Amino acid sequence: MSRVSAAFSSFFSILFSGVLPEDVAAEFGFVKPQPPPPPVEIPKVSDGALQILQILQRDSRLIDFLMEDIASFADDQVGAAVRTIHTDCKAALTRHVTLAPVLDGVEGTPQRLDASKAPDPSRIKLLGNVPASGKVAGGTLRHRGWQASAVTLPPLGKQDPAVLAPAEIEIE
Amino acid sequence: MSKYVIGIDLGTTNSALAYAYVDNSTGESEPVELLPIPQLVNAGEVAERELLSSSLYLPGEKEFVEGALSLPWNPNPTYITGRFAWTRGVENSTRLVSSAKSWLSNQSADPTQPLLPLTAPAGGQKISAVEASTQYLLHLRSAWDAKHPDAPLEQQSVLLTVPASFDAAARDLTQRAAKLAGYPEVTILEEPQAAFYAWIERNPNWREQVKPGDLILVVDIGGGTTDFTLISVTESAGELQLERIAVGDHLLLGGDNMDLALARFAEQQFAEKGTKLDALQFHSLWQQCRAAKEVLLTSDENAPANHPLTILGRGSGLVGGTIRGTMEIADVRNLLLEGFFPAVPAEAKPQRNRRAGLMEVGLNYASDAAVTKHLAQFLRNAGASAGGFARPTHLLLNGGVLQARAIEQRLFEVLNGWLAQAGAAPVTELRNASKQDDLMHAVAHGATYYGLVRTGNGVRIRGGVPRTYYVGIESSLPAVPGLPSPMKALTVVPFGLEEGSKVELPQRKFALVVGEPAEFRFFSSLARKKDTPGVMIDAIDSDFEELAPIEVFLPGHTEDGREEIVAVTLESYVTETGMLELWCVAADGRRWKLEFNVRERMVA
Repeated sequence: MSRVSAAFSSFFSILFSGVLPEDVAAEFGFVKPQPPPPPVEIPKVSDGALQILQILQRDSRLIDFLMEDIASFADDQVGAAVRTIHTDCKAALTRHVTLAPVLDGVEGTPQRLDASKAPDPSRIKLLGNVPASGKVAGGTLRHRGWQASAVTLPPLGKQDPAVLAPAEIEIE
Repeated sequence: MSKYVIGIDLGTTNSALAYAYVDNSTGESEPVELLPIPQLVNAGEVAERELLSSSLYLPGEKEFVEGALSLPWNPNPTYITGRFAWTRGVENSTRLVSSAKSWLSNQSADPTQPLLPLTAPAGGQKISAVEASTQYLLHLRSAWDAKHPDAPLEQQSVLLTVPASFDAAARDLTQRAAKLAGYPEVTILEEPQAAFYAWIERNPNWREQVKPGDLILVVDIGGGTTDFTLISVTESAGELQLERIAVGDHLLLGGDNMDLALARFAEQQFAEKGTKLDALQFHSLWQQCRAAKEVLLTSDENAPANHPLTILGRGSGLVGGTIRGTMEIADVRNLLLEGFFPAVPAEAKPQRNRRAGLMEVGLNYASDAAVTKHLAQFLRNAGASAGGFARPTHLLLNGGVLQARAIEQRLFEVLNGWLAQAGAAPVTELRNASKQDDLMHAVAHGATYYGLVRTGNGVRIRGGVPRTYYVGIESSLPAVPGLPSPMKALTVVPFGLEEGSKVELPQRKFALVVGEPAEFRFFSSLARKKDTPGVMIDAIDSDFEELAPIEVFLPGHTEDGREEIVAVTLESYVTETGMLELWCVAADGRRWKLEFNVRERMVA
């Protein structure tokens, strides 16, 4: 763009429209502030938790069960429903979360521990006569603990994670 | 050069893909494996399953959130195939296509017309049975290509199984679907044969288990169909040879019918107690009846006497709305063993279906549910030429239904009863090593094994075309008013015509007009096995089944528009891939292929 034509087009554009022509602005390095890029949706930690709930409800109706007042029902009525829920719930859980014990021993039998240091409290909880140092050579295994050795959840997609189960409407 | 041999079992309710790697330089192959098939199992969730549910769901425009249907190889599929298609289809059956395969062999509707789902409301989307089959095959191809980017399926050697009872038109449509799905030229193999190949593959010492003169009966009870095949063992130059000598009628009767019968029975019991089930609850009941059948019909002495049925309440009133019932072993035995596998005499005949004048468009389900009656009829027909009842020496069972051991036992009892009456020894069971798995996957496995031996020196079942085919010739008698002119049948393809061979009929000339389509009525027969090519049959009776007409169009080539008549003879040919082709051949050597006209089945 020649200097003369740039000068004239700027002059008239500002005079009549009050703005610098776009080609001139670009040529001289005046750049419009770009609108900020749409924020990338980063899944919140709670989204994964909601997703698990959604899966357990969808595949095993767990939320329906927990939220129902079952006090008035007879035991065999509850038992019949629970068997089905248990089967489905277990299948859904093990499909997405690989579970393993923290300590693979037999409950009720002695379990050795490293006496040189206190155990990692997130992995091992000491009960009973715990010495002041927190260091023990072993004890009786009361609970093997659980840990998730792998979690495979499908991608969240665009659905609202807060909706755990859609309302259902049947057309007759 | 292909690196893999791929065997595909395109089933009525489930499909499977097995494959084997072949080293082309040495000719050695690796063991046959099953391809895990990624498929939608829920909205937004893709998981691998060994079987692809042969269900197709036609999603509405706004039915799912964006991206919920994406597959690893397609971010935006038009249709849903596999597990989720089925589960969503239960909730909305007006968009679910199932049993497409049975529609391919249906004589009362055109499989190339968009008719499915039948329950779609006015204005609802519909597709054809061929298109649905194409979609299943496309899904399998995409799954393969995603895992083998350096060896795409179109460059491999592919085998596709069909029921032995599929007629030439249904085989043609299957191959058409494969072509539409971007497959290479596929080899067609019959399912019971594939099941037998799977047994050979699992039993390297099979030659010690059968001997010349043996007759092997294969009973294949799938989800939607039942197929019978007889294979005879002969000897030639010291080598065992196998020959498929008979196949049964197409029976639309399978495991799903049995589970459904149980579910209907249970539904009625609930109804008597005043509980009415809705569609979803009924589906849940159906699934539980399937499980109950397998638990109660184990041959185990310790089988429980009943199995609980629990239908959870709908809505959020789950425990309160739970309905309980039980399935008693006596009822299951009564419904399944007596209903589907009754102990009948060898002379038993299945009830013929009485067709109403105006038949509703739908699948021709077998009108008699007794599998054993159909089996008795099959063995009588198969043995008719040898003067009596065919006497199998071995029995190979295939299909998911037979996981219920009591059904298997009943089949043996009934068959052995017939044999004892005829003074023959009881049958020996041919067993697969890993039986439970095999019942579901044997066909895909066996197809792959066949693909491996096809090129090498392995054993191959000879069999050829499982029917005799005829074209209808209008009799030259003067027409009687009010009566159709009598039709005669000219044998064009003999029973057992083998792959790669052809039959010419030089003595019979047809005059075809150039530029006009010529059509032949086309018949087949399972029962008539001795008609040789060129033989004219005077009366077309109940042994004959009319297929879709076959037509040929000789393009006009004379410039002045003069009508030209070409004298042609018929030639039939079975390709190496097992497809039956009919050709018109002119004296000057020009050839035209006859095509099935499935559009006009309704007229037939």
